[in-house]
Amino acid sequence: MEINDAALEYLLARAGLSLTEEQKAELKNVHAAIAAMAQRVRKPRGRMAEPAHAYGFAEEDLA
Amino acid sequence: MSEAIPTIAEAARLIAAKQLSPVELTRACLARVHALDRELHAFVRLTEERALADARSAERAIMAGGPSGPLHGIPIGLKDIVDTKGITTTCQSRFLQDNVPDGDAACAEKLAVAGTVLIGKTTTHEFADGGPSFDLPAPPARNPWNTEHFTAGSSSGTGAAVAAGLILGGIGTDTGGSIRGPAALCGIAGIKPTYGLVSRAGVAPAAYSLDHIGPMAWTAEDCALMLQALAGHDSRDPASAAPPIPNYTALLGTGVRGLRIGVIHHFHETDHPVSDGTRRGIDAALVTFRDLGAELREVQLSPLQDWAACGSLISITERAAAYEEWSRTRLGEFSERLSSRLMLGALVSGVDYVQAVRRRRELRAELQQAMAGLDLVLTATQPAEAAKIDEVPKWDMFDKPGFTMPFNVAGYPAISICAGFGTGGLPVAIQLVGKPFQEPTLFRVADAFEKATTFRSRRPALVAA
Repeated sequence: MEINDAALEYLLARAGLSLTEEQKAELKNVHAAIAAMAQRVRKPRGRMAEPAHAYGFAEEDLA
Repeated sequence: MSEAIPTIAEAARLIAAKQLSPVELTRACLARVHALDRELHAFVRLTEERALADARSAERAIMAGGPSGPLHGIPIGLKDIVDTKGITTTCQSRFLQDNVPDGDAACAEKLAVAGTVLIGKTTTHEFADGGPSFDLPAPPARNPWNTEHFTAGSSSGTGAAVAAGLILGGIGTDTGGSIRGPAALCGIAGIKPTYGLVSRAGVAPAAYSLDHIGPMAWTAEDCALMLQALAGHDSRDPASAAPPIPNYTALLGTGVRGLRIGVIHHFHETDHPVSDGTRRGIDAALVTFRDLGAELREVQLSPLQDWAACGSLISITERAAAYEEWSRTRLGEFSERLSSRLMLGALVSGVDYVQAVRRRRELRAELQQAMAGLDLVLTATQPAEAAKIDEVPKWDMFDKPGFTMPFNVAGYPAISICAGFGTGGLPVAIQLVGKPFQEPTLFRVADAFEKATTFRSRRPALVAA
């Protein structure tokens, strides 16, 4: 999956990063690999599947 | 010179018998530092005066009443992302060149209470990620088995220093393999304990939910002795667990007969094929375990790429969050390699992150089920012997999934031990993975392997020279 310049600029602006042209080119190069990872963690798991990190109360909260 | 380097266990016995002086032991380590570290770059800062003062203090106490434990008078190093009171802690970064913490990290405090002697702060990748970097104030550590080669990272200095006998043990941290990788390539033992067993308080974060603190030493037994001092609940670490702390050396010497070891062949055979030398090391290890009476079983898990994707997305995002402020305002002051890693955060959405964390729960459940009838599993630690330090690819995380990240994702304990020597005499390793808080079983099996093989009798040639 390629990312166009406008989309990359939007993501960088949202992240608050100011990159050189060389750095932007590098990010465009690796974007497909990141997108593939993001696709790989998606499974047909339904809406009820919980994340691993669930919020809980520590003993100090209950004292 | 190599004969003069005892393990922690050996040194502890000699110290207790008043046959070895902590001061002499410390001086011997410092002599090796002065002889070798100009080439190894294992330390970013020596604490020589403190070391000698600690050693003298330990010696006086031991002469008066015996050692307080097996670490009393033992020279160690701390990775330079571990806060040390009054001692500069740079995280190998331009940002923290003048950072002098006003307190010790929990692990530093515990090792000090145990009576260790701090030789210095060991080299790391900047904030424990992205190396090797040649554009930082201090150079990367080099592999004692061949200084043209990489140590792996990020606990690179601790790995090199232990292998070369500059210290007998040290602290590493592990977010995706940063203890086990250097342990493997430097030919030593290193354990990533169960998530939450060792407090992260006072240690610079890499990725909060994947970060582990653990010991690195010449043998599994030495790691067990160090973990005994390190383990335990700490309310300053929100992820700290509170399990009962067992005797980590209790099962040493009891052998492996009857233990069930699962082998994840597909990880190192098809998902990420390893080098011939590593393959030979793994195959020989399996024969050794079978000969020792262990039962070997095949284990099938999701492909290594699934574990790597899950861990990488979490790691990228949590690191980007931790260092967001500096990334936004001073990105150019990071090393080139770390700044590239930090930029990746812009490409991962919030939904991507949550999907990765949902996948994490599934993968952990999968490992739990796979290990239900097993005592531990075995896989590779590294895909090959150490590469040349100037030939380490920048982006191999994308096409070559690591063997260590799955157990950061799961939080399960994992130890890397030396399994022989491959191309050019460089070490190869195996990784043993236990169930949560079952570190004693890992030490039992790793110790049995080390004692059944001859790999612990060989030190790097540079040490013997």
